[in-house]
Parts: sequence; C-alpha cells; structure tokens
Amino acid sequence: MAGVGFRRWALALSKGKGPGISGLLSGCRAASGVTKDSGLGPYPKTPEERAAAAKKYNMTVEDYEPYPDNGEGYGDYPKLPERSQHERDPWYQWDHPDLRRNWGEPMHWHFDMYIRNRVDTSPSPVSWSSMCKQLFGFIGFMLFMFYVGEKMPAYQPVAPKQYPYNDLYVERGGDPEKQPEEVKHYEI
Amino acid sequence: MHTTSLMMTSSLITMLLLLAYPVFTTLNPDPRGPDWSLSQVKTAVKLTFFVSLLPLFLFLNEGAEMIVTNWTWMNTLTFDINISFKFDHYSIIFTPIALYVTWSILEFASWYMHSDPYMNRFFKYLLIFLIAMIILVTANNMFQLFIGWEGVGIMSFLLIGWWYGRADANTAALQAVLYNRVGDIGLIFAMAWMATNLNSWEMQQMFTTAKNQDLTFPLLGLILAATGKSAQFGLHPWLPSAMEGPTPVSALLHSSTMVVAGIFLLVRMSPLLENNQTALTLCLCLGALTTLFTATCALTQNDIKKIVAFSTSSQLGLMMVTIGLNQPQLAFLHICTHAFFKAMLFLCSGSIIHSLNDEQDIRKMGGMHHLTPFTSSCLTIGSLALTGTPFLAGFFSKDAIIEALNTSHLNAWALALTLLATSFTAIYSLRVVFFVSMGHPRFNTLSPINENNPAVLNPIKRLAWGSIIAGLLITSNMTPLKTPIMTMPPLLKLAALTVTILGLLLALELASLTNKQFKTTPNLAPHHFSNMLGFFPAVIHRTLPKLNLTLGQTIATQIIDLTWLEKTGPKALTSLNMPLITTTSNAQQGMIKTYLSFFLLMLALTTLLFIL
Amino acid sequence: MSSFGRALGVLRAGSRLVRRGPQRTTTRKAGGGPHIEPQYRQYPQLTKNQKVQSEILSGAMWFWILWHCWHDPDAVLGHFPWPDASAWTDEELGIPPDDEE
Repeated sequence: MAGVGFRRWALALSKGKGPGISGLLSGCRAASGVTKDSGLGPYPKTPEERAAAAKKYNMTVEDYEPYPDNGEGYGDYPKLPERSQHERDPWYQWDHPDLRRNWGEPMHWHFDMYIRNRVDTSPSPVSWSSMCKQLFGFIGFMLFMFYVGEKMPAYQPVAPKQYPYNDLYVERGGDPEKQPEEVKHYEI
Repeated sequence: MHTTSLMMTSSLITMLLLLAYPVFTTLNPDPRGPDWSLSQVKTAVKLTFFVSLLPLFLFLNEGAEMIVTNWTWMNTLTFDINISFKFDHYSIIFTPIALYVTWSILEFASWYMHSDPYMNRFFKYLLIFLIAMIILVTANNMFQLFIGWEGVGIMSFLLIGWWYGRADANTAALQAVLYNRVGDIGLIFAMAWMATNLNSWEMQQMFTTAKNQDLTFPLLGLILAATGKSAQFGLHPWLPSAMEGPTPVSALLHSSTMVVAGIFLLVRMSPLLENNQTALTLCLCLGALTTLFTATCALTQNDIKKIVAFSTSSQLGLMMVTIGLNQPQLAFLHICTHAFFKAMLFLCSGSIIHSLNDEQDIRKMGGMHHLTPFTSSCLTIGSLALTGTPFLAGFFSKDAIIEALNTSHLNAWALALTLLATSFTAIYSLRVVFFVSMGHPRFNTLSPINENNPAVLNPIKRLAWGSIIAGLLITSNMTPLKTPIMTMPPLLKLAALTVTILGLLLALELASLTNKQFKTTPNLAPHHFSNMLGFFPAVIHRTLPKLNLTLGQTIATQIIDLTWLEKTGPKALTSLNMPLITTTSNAQQGMIKTYLSFFLLMLALTTLLFIL
Repeated sequence: MSSFGRALGVLRAGSRLVRRGPQRTTTRKAGGGPHIEPQYRQYPQLTKNQKVQSEILSGAMWFWILWHCWHDPDAVLGHFPWPDASAWTDEELGIPPDDEE
C-alpha cells in the first residue's frame, strides 16, 4: 500500500498540481469536505458564468448577485438579502419548519447568525434609529437624573436630639472641673 | 449534644433525605407509574414542609439559630471548603415558605400537565430545582451556595425549554441561561476575590476578616450576580421570555423562588454591603430603574403571563431598592410575602389559560367572574395583595419598604421612580382584573371551562389563605434587626397607600375610556415604548449577537487565512523578500558609476569605523 | 354485506389497538371533581361548591381587611402622631415675644 501511496504522491508532485500530502494520506476524498463542484467557484465575470453560478446555487439569474470581488474570498457565493429566518412566514409549509427553510434553498453567508434564536431582523412598528434613540435616550436621561438625585437627596430633616445642661456634658463623662462652652440650641 | 441543635440537625437531614428519595428512585431504569409524580414527589415535598416546621417553631420559640459544619470537603494549604449549613432566621423562615409554595404548585402541575407524556420527568426537574434552592438558601459556604445557584440555573434552563419543539421556547431557554451566565461571572469573580483576599468561603469568617478591606470590587461582582439572577435592568429580558415555559414553572421558578435567589444572595452578604456606600447607592439606583422600567412594560402587555412576569420583575426591583436602603430584612420580608401571592397569581392565570383552550391574551378573556368564580376571586385577592391593600400579605412588606424609603436619606430620583412604579403596580393589577374577570366574555364559544378539580382548587386556596394572612404572621414573628421608624408625618405614612389609590383611580379612568366608542387621538410613541419592552430586547438582542457572530464568521473564514497565509505565512515571506531581491538585482546592472559609489561608500564606512 | 365486513374489520383493528393501548397511554388524571362538558353557546354550568368557596374566600379577605382596619388602624395611619411644629406657641417654647427688648 505504501508503494501505491508513494507512487500517487510522486505522480501528483510531478504533475505539479493537486494536494500532494493529502494524496499520500488517503486515496479517497474526506466525507467532511466539500466536493469540487459544490465549493466556491471563482467570481463570475461573463453573463454565462453568472448563469452557471446561479444554477449552481439553485437561483434565478435575476436574483443572483455575488459578493463584490475585492479579494475577500467570497468567490461566486450569492449575496442574499440580510433577512433572518425568524422573519419568514410561520404558516408556510417549509421543508424544514424549525429553520423555516426549503430543501436546496441557498443559504445566507451568515446563515448561522440568522437562525431563529439568534439575530432577528423582523420589521418593527418603530424604525431602528428611533428605537435606538428612545432606548438610549431613556437610559441616558435616567442616569442623568440619578446623578441629579444624588446631588439633591431626599430626606426627613431631623436634628440630633437636644438635651439641657450643655447636652448633658457632665452626664456623658465630661470633666466636671472644666466648664464647657455653652451650647445654645435656639436662636431668637 | 444540645437538644435544640440535635433537633435542628436531624430535621435538616430528614428534609434532605425526604426530598432526595424520589430523585434516587428515578435512577432505577424501570419506568415509573403514571401516578409517581403525585404519590411520590408531591408527598415528599408535603412531608418535608411539615418537617421543616419543626426548626421554624424552635426558632420562634427559643430563637435558635445555628451553623452546622459537617464535613471538610477539600482543602488546599490553608483554604478549606466545608459542607456547612446555616440555620439563621432567613433560611429557617424561607425554607418552609418555599416548600409550601412548591407543594401547592406541584399539586397544580399534576392537573395542568396531565396530558404531558413526560410528566414524571417534569416533576423530577421541579424536585431537583427545589433541592438546589434549599441548598442555596441553607448554604453557609460560598462554594455550596454556588452549587445551589448553578443548580437552579440549569434547572430553569431545562424547564423553560420544556416544550423544546418550539423555537420560541428554545430561544427563551437560551436567553435565560446566557443572561444567568453573565451574572455568574460576577459571582465567580466575587468568590475568587474572597478566596484570594479573605482566605475563606465560610460566611462568618468572611464577614469578620472583611472588616478592614475595600470591598467595592467583590460587591460589584455580587451585584452583577444578583442583577443576572434577579433580572434587574440590563439583564432583565430573560424573565418575561421565560414565560414560554409551562405555567407551573413560571409560578415556581420565575416568581417565588429562583429569581429571588439574587436578592437572597445580597441579603446573605448584607454584612459586607452595609458599610459600602458606593455599592448601596448602585443597588438603590439599579433597583429603582428596574422597578419603574418593568412596571412600565407591564402596563401595555396583553399576555396575562407576561404581565405577571413583569410585575415580578418590578417587585424584584423594589427588593433591590430595599437592599440599597440597607434594609436587607425588609427585602427578605418582601421575598416571603411575594412568594405567596405571586405563585397564586400564576396558578390562577394557569387555570384560566387552561380553561380557555390555551388562550393567553387578556383581550380575549373577560367575564371570568361568572364562569370560574373561584379562580377569579383568587386572582382578585392576589392582585390586591400585590398592590399592597392594607392587611393583605403585600402590605406588610411593601408599606414598610415605602416608609423606610420616605424616611431615609437617599437619592431623590430613586424615591420618585419607586413611588411611580408603586402606582403603576395598581394600574396593571387592576387592568388584569378588569380584562379577565369583569365585563363580558370575549373568548370563543367552545371552551372547556371547568375549575372543579381538587388539584386546581386546593393549591390556589392554600396560597390564597397564605396571601391573606402570611404577611401578619411573618411580621409579627420576625424580630426586626434594625429599629423601624415608628413615627413620621401622616403624608409619608400614607404615601404608599396614596400612590396606590392614585394608580387605581387612573386605571379606572383608563378602563372607562376603553368602554366608550370614540376615536382617541393616537399617542403611539409611549405605547410602542412600553409595548415593545422599552425596545431593549429589540435593540440589544439584534446588535450584540450580530456583532459577535459577524466578527466570529469573519475571523473564522477570512481573518485567519489572511493572517497565516498572507500576512505571516508564504505570501508574507514573498513580500518580505521581494524588495531585497529587486534592490539587489537592480544594483547589479553593470553600471560603473554604481560600483564606484559602492566602493566609496564602503571606504567611508570603514574609515568611520576605524576613527570611532 | 361488504359494508358489514368493513365494519367488522374496523372493529377488529380497534380492538387490537385497545388491547395494545394501555401499555403506553397513561390514564388521564384530570378527573376528581364533577365532570362538566364543554359548553357551546350556553351559560356554563357551575357547581355550588365553587361558588361557595369563592364567596368564602372573598368574604374572608374582606373580613380580614375590615377587622384589622377597625382594630388596628395604626398600621395604616401611623402609630404615633407626628408633632406639628407650626402649632407650638412661643409660650410653650419659652421664646419671649418679639417686641420685648
């Protein structure tokens, strides 16, 4: 077996293409990887290539719109609308009702972000910017008012208890010899 | 051994054994009979409740409190982890209450969940949850408390996601577990700080050694933990979402026991908290913000369980305010009284929901007073107790809290928010009663309305009696640790009642508006703010995951390749070498001038080197 | 005749189901109280028991509230009167009148 593997490796090397090491390791394709035709292709440039790519991703040519080709490695992957699965019709008979997805439907590049218990882009009665403004405005206002409230606390005005004889100076263990300065609790 | 301590220890062991027995029987692979849940689990909880009355009466009679350290679990150098139980007045009072409430809820659940194929498992989960809660409450050791803390966390995850076939229930369970993990970070941080600086996780040792230390950081951790577990503002959205779980779960976990664990932690740690003004102010402001925000959200909700959930959250905010006032005992009192009527409110709504074919929208109820008189009168009692009607359970804690607020030196805005939230409580409670019990039926015409079942009537009845008399019983038997202020101007004394009545009047006015047929000018902005939960879930639950997941995807599929293959790996080698190669080869072009200048440069450098 | 045969077949299948059933399906434990059929466009049946119980509970609540309001109004209205400082006269406080020099 080793001889066969070595021969394949040498062949692959001499041809100058293909994965040399993986050719040695295993004769067959790993089940986990993508096949050559289901993986990403190069960015489609001509209309024919676009049509072929659209067909590959089970889309119509009108819907197919690849990511811009600026070297980020998206290849011919379609750029789908940024809509979460939760936004889709709950009453439609989806092939996979849990994911609200049909079989063979192209997946969003960020599909795992848009599954039903993650990011939800459902439309809301209030616009996004207004929601943000109201929420952060509310929090900011509250924080500001807490600051103000901290500066102006609320309390029951209560004075320390007043006693005669200079606030019980002697009774509280003061020196009886020394006369303390007189405490006056009132003002006329 | 002294008789009292012997009694306490033995009753504790009996309690734990009684509770653990049904759990151990489930290890037997034979399937359990259909009545296992009622005959074993409910009976175990009921028996445990009666056993737990023994320490309670001992405590009431003799004031007996004790700490039992049974066994050194592990030790590293000087740091010991023990199994030790604390039987102070908090745990002695709370344990029977938790057991009483659980007993009622289990009985109710046997009716509510009767068509569920996995009812035995459901009961087992509830029982494990209860055991975890009791471990948490009786723990005298941070590690033991942490076990209980995580136990209730994981059971809440399992129980919220009970109907795991529904994506919403899964989302809610995930939310609960994630928000609680944020809180756990705080608790673990605080525990690590304690282990490092106080060298002990035993509470009494911690409290003595912590006297001269700056505790702000661990207290912030503890407050974060309480924020997560008790659904304070910022980490609150999981509590209303948790209503996706079955109603008995909502009643037990998300009203009366688990969510108060955060507050209970702060009550336990109050000796650390009481001298730290920063932490106290933070608690006060956080609690005030929570109680107002969630009460505002409750005002416009239409799902009966959501309203009750938000009122729970609001009451938790009130408890947090009380912690911030440095009155942990009052907060604990509110935990105890709140358990009764909140569990009952949930059971009543469960009964009504079941009677109306799983209809939760209060706009589609109405007239239930004629159809289910018992449930709706208990709903009314619960709502009245929640609003703090004099001499019902809620009054004794709520009124005391508002009085303590009014007579303390505190943040004026926090006071204003709390009072406002108190009147909101009256508004949404009345709204529930108005829409559910009063008026004419608005539900569909074929409803299996039947509350005539001992498994419905008895639990609700027990809790109703609790809601009526528990407040007086607990307050008259608990020795206050801090001197309550007995005299104050009548305005302050009546403040709680006044704001509640104001809220009631406002709610009546609003309710009468809905009965008239005229077009009001729509003022939608505040309604949207309240109805969409202050936009908090909408904004935060979209922004944060989107940020994280986009970043994760970009890192996994693009940045790693970019880093290794292009910036440090093969491509980088190329781009590093290319300039050198090009420069060198560009120099070698047979130009005599170039060679001469190189020669001269070398000469100059060598000379320079020799001179230096 | 054929319909009779079909009915027999259904019966046989049903009896097989019934025989196999009890191992898996648990009995409904919802019973206990009086059985009330779901009603369609009718006033629902109520038992006397539930009416009486609800009356008892509500009555007990109001009795509890009113009894305590009568016997223990201090808890609501304040235990001790708050001194009204503005009602104190100068004589009580020992302050001489303003015109006295």
